[in-house]
Amino acid sequence: MAKVLEGPGMGLMKKWGIATPNYVVVTSVEQFDQLAKANDWTQKGKLVAKAHEAMGSRFKLGLVKVGLDLAGAKVAVKEMLGRQVGSITVTQVIVSEMVPHKDEYYAAVKSTREGIDVLVANCGGIEVESNWDRVKRLAVDVGETPSVEALEKLAKEAGFTGPLAKKVADFTGKLFACFDNEDAQYLEVNPVVAREGDGELVALDAVTLLDADAKFRHPDWNFQFAAEFGRAYTKHETEVMAVDSKIKGSVKFIEIPGGDTAMLPAGGGASVYYSDAVVARGGKLANYAEYSGDPPDWAVEVLTDKVCSLPGIRNIIVGGAIANFTDVKKTFGGIIAGFRKAKSEGKLKGVKIWVRRGGPREKEGLDAMRALRDEGFDIHVFDRHTPLTDIVDKALQQK
Amino acid sequence: MSILANKDTRVVIQGGAAGLNAARRMAEFCYMIKRPLNVEAFVYPPDAGKTNEVPYGSGLLTIPVYKSVAEATASHPQINTSLVYIGADRACAAGLEALNDAKIQVASMITEGVPEKDAKILARHAIKLGKTFNGPSSIGVISAGACRLGVIGGAFDNLVACKLYREGSFGVITKSGGLSNEIIWICSQFADGITTAIGIGGDAYPGTDYVSYLEMFEKDPQTKAVVIVGEMGGDLEERAAEWYGAKKRRIKLLAVVSGFCQESLPKGMKFGHAGAKEGMKGEGSARAKSDAFKKAGAIVPDTFGALGPAIKSVYEEWVKSGQVRPIPELSQADLPRLPKTVEESMKAGEVMVAPLIKTTISDDRGDEPCYDGYPASELINKGYEIPHVIGLLWDKRLISKQEAEIIKRIMMLSADHGPCVSGALGTIIAACAGIGMSQSVAAGLIMIGPRFGGAVTDAGRYFKHAVDNKMTVDDFLAYMKKNVGPVPGIGHRVKSVRNPDKRVKELVGYVKSLSIKTPHLDFALGVEKVTSAKKDNLILNVDGTMAAVLVDIGFPVDSLNGFFILSRTIGLIGHWVDQKRQESRLIRLFDYLVNYAAPKRREVPPLK
Repeated sequence: MAKVLEGPGMGLMKKWGIATPNYVVVTSVEQFDQLAKANDWTQKGKLVAKAHEAMGSRFKLGLVKVGLDLAGAKVAVKEMLGRQVGSITVTQVIVSEMVPHKDEYYAAVKSTREGIDVLVANCGGIEVESNWDRVKRLAVDVGETPSVEALEKLAKEAGFTGPLAKKVADFTGKLFACFDNEDAQYLEVNPVVAREGDGELVALDAVTLLDADAKFRHPDWNFQFAAEFGRAYTKHETEVMAVDSKIKGSVKFIEIPGGDTAMLPAGGGASVYYSDAVVARGGKLANYAEYSGDPPDWAVEVLTDKVCSLPGIRNIIVGGAIANFTDVKKTFGGIIAGFRKAKSEGKLKGVKIWVRRGGPREKEGLDAMRALRDEGFDIHVFDRHTPLTDIVDKALQQK
Repeated sequence: MSILANKDTRVVIQGGAAGLNAARRMAEFCYMIKRPLNVEAFVYPPDAGKTNEVPYGSGLLTIPVYKSVAEATASHPQINTSLVYIGADRACAAGLEALNDAKIQVASMITEGVPEKDAKILARHAIKLGKTFNGPSSIGVISAGACRLGVIGGAFDNLVACKLYREGSFGVITKSGGLSNEIIWICSQFADGITTAIGIGGDAYPGTDYVSYLEMFEKDPQTKAVVIVGEMGGDLEERAAEWYGAKKRRIKLLAVVSGFCQESLPKGMKFGHAGAKEGMKGEGSARAKSDAFKKAGAIVPDTFGALGPAIKSVYEEWVKSGQVRPIPELSQADLPRLPKTVEESMKAGEVMVAPLIKTTISDDRGDEPCYDGYPASELINKGYEIPHVIGLLWDKRLISKQEAEIIKRIMMLSADHGPCVSGALGTIIAACAGIGMSQSVAAGLIMIGPRFGGAVTDAGRYFKHAVDNKMTVDDFLAYMKKNVGPVPGIGHRVKSVRNPDKRVKELVGYVKSLSIKTPHLDFALGVEKVTSAKKDNLILNVDGTMAAVLVDIGFPVDSLNGFFILSRTIGLIGHWVDQKRQESRLIRLFDYLVNYAAPKRREVPPLK
């Protein structure tokens, strides 16, 4: 699942005929000046400026400003650009027009095992969150497209009447088309508003989640995916993602500030059991990591380098189940090279390393790990006869 | 018994190199259980019409590659199962192609990163046709003693360690590929092993869920318990729990679910497989799933580590009640084993192999080539140059700086001699005919022989013979006249005493300026004095000079032509590149350059 920021998200909706407020995404004040001149809507109505970054609580941080005139928007852009929030620097600001409206509605499309659900409510904004029973659902089977009649029936069930019901049906039809054609996993428009004057339905704010695995058939996805956990990706996370996108197999890395137990396990399944074990034993995770699918040794070395660079760690868990086809000797070769590099850079002081693994060439791999003892590493190596997560117990008992 | 994959499973693999690799794994399993290979065919359009080689035991099986599943099943009517291991962008089409074939009942997909939309289409299509679609991202299905479909089970040693050559009593269903192997191992160590283990894949919408397989296991009398390794996200575990709790089931259910760590992670942060995502209101959490399993009466150990002991206690109860009889273990000697490769056998000291060739000059089995034992990089770093490498590879010795300088000069002097000489002309004609570099250069090199550039070795040989036998110049010339003919290294087509070869003068002058002994060069010059007095152009030519000098600095006679071949190759490559750069066109001789001495045109007599 991959989150898309507001700008590109609105771009996709526009592509499928959904009305959105006019907007510009800018990276400098000069760029804003130029775009303001070229887009006369910036000079006519009220404007909204928001930090265009994957971060939560933008309102609280003063990174959303509403009801601005052009001069006010320029001040907001200037203030926001370059603002440092935690590890994130604001590098983009989205300025959009305020759409005058009275009523707010809700529309969403989401993936289910059976197909696709279309959701509609005739209330929106915060109101819908406290009135979830007012959201009406139309389940569309895999491979089917909902008829205009079905969508209109859904709108009527949700309490829309007359011409508005037709408009809602038209809007949700476009939203469905966008969802289905763009390999989306979740599209939520909240609020949908009826613009004063022409009464056209406009998508004011949207959440767009796309299926990153479908990127191969969307050459026009020229945007970066954003992190889904309310902060931007860190430098190290981005570097590991760049490696991941290049290789056969995969390497994954997410930092969790404040932890003391670093994770370097193999396998998308086993890695979570290792994380569970750390939490269950009262440890604090410093990161999530995982490598699988027989990745090249250099990719595992990059991952190891990032894990060793985590601040304040006391243990590294090099866990793993019995691999099907990941070559243990080769992948451990990458980890060993990473450990050596980290040590030569003065890292890993006082850090204990715990290893458990099985799979092709397990003996050679484990022997090579064991040999690190002779180089002064505080390393403890176990084979398939030690149950999967016992190394976590051993590591955390040491405290 | 087993489910899904059994002794009657006959497979077509849709995929290229990855598919072939899966076939190799499957062949190892078939060999272990002493059954013929269950892979009948491959489908991979780029290789259609070719065959793939799959090692089986100590031999190689040849398996055909087809353009389509229909062609494969038409030629191999026993095929009933497809294994899809093709790029994510082609996976959906391949899966549909398999399902649409009347012969295919089961399709399992190893491919990872398949778009969710495609996975849902495949799942729905299989249900519509009443077939089983397993995956995507499935490591495969393995039925002990019967069938391996996919790469599940790992390396051969692991198959044996997990006793997969014979049936146990536990069914296994996991989302994770790596953990399927772990559970198979646990079942073999804490109990009597597995019947069938299935990886359903860690994606959000696997083609077949736990419930479908639980129902199959429920009907398989050999399977007495099923182990589910679940993950947070979605509702498949809840559905499995619901199925188990709905009525009294014959099989016992053991389950663990991962994702408890989520409770103490920053909001929205998710780990693991694509399908491991919590619902917006906490549905699909590890705790909710775990609780559902417990409520349904399944055995739910607290941690993954506690799974082994839980399996053990279930198994021991059966043994006590007589429900299951322990399977006698095979002795070490009776365990299946793969034939060793020659390398492995040699390493183990079990065989002796007579080498086919022997080398005494170089070895690149390490991280870099060694020339006569010296690593190339060390030679570079210590200031050695190309002539020293020639010395090491041609004469197995580190030559001196002075000797290297002589070789360098010899090579510079003979690198090229214009386009008209036989070698260059051969290369140029070939280049103009559009022939590639190595063949064109070879066309030039072919010219090197007794009349062109190839007299160095012979010249060296006879000068050395003379010096070794302390012959006088007159004795030598008499000997040559009687036994050989013209003296190699003496005589030139155009150069003469009055029009000396500057290359010879240059080389002789340089070598004479050094304080080294040059008995062969001195002898050759003595010969020249006599022969050139007889005839103006019987001078010591460049071949003869090179030969004498190289013998003087100790190079073996047999290596001498190599100096000319090597240095002239520089020129020949130059000529080829030069013609290429000019985009030269095909050339042919003009008629006026040919003396047509063949008989005049005449009538062909009737055939007798």
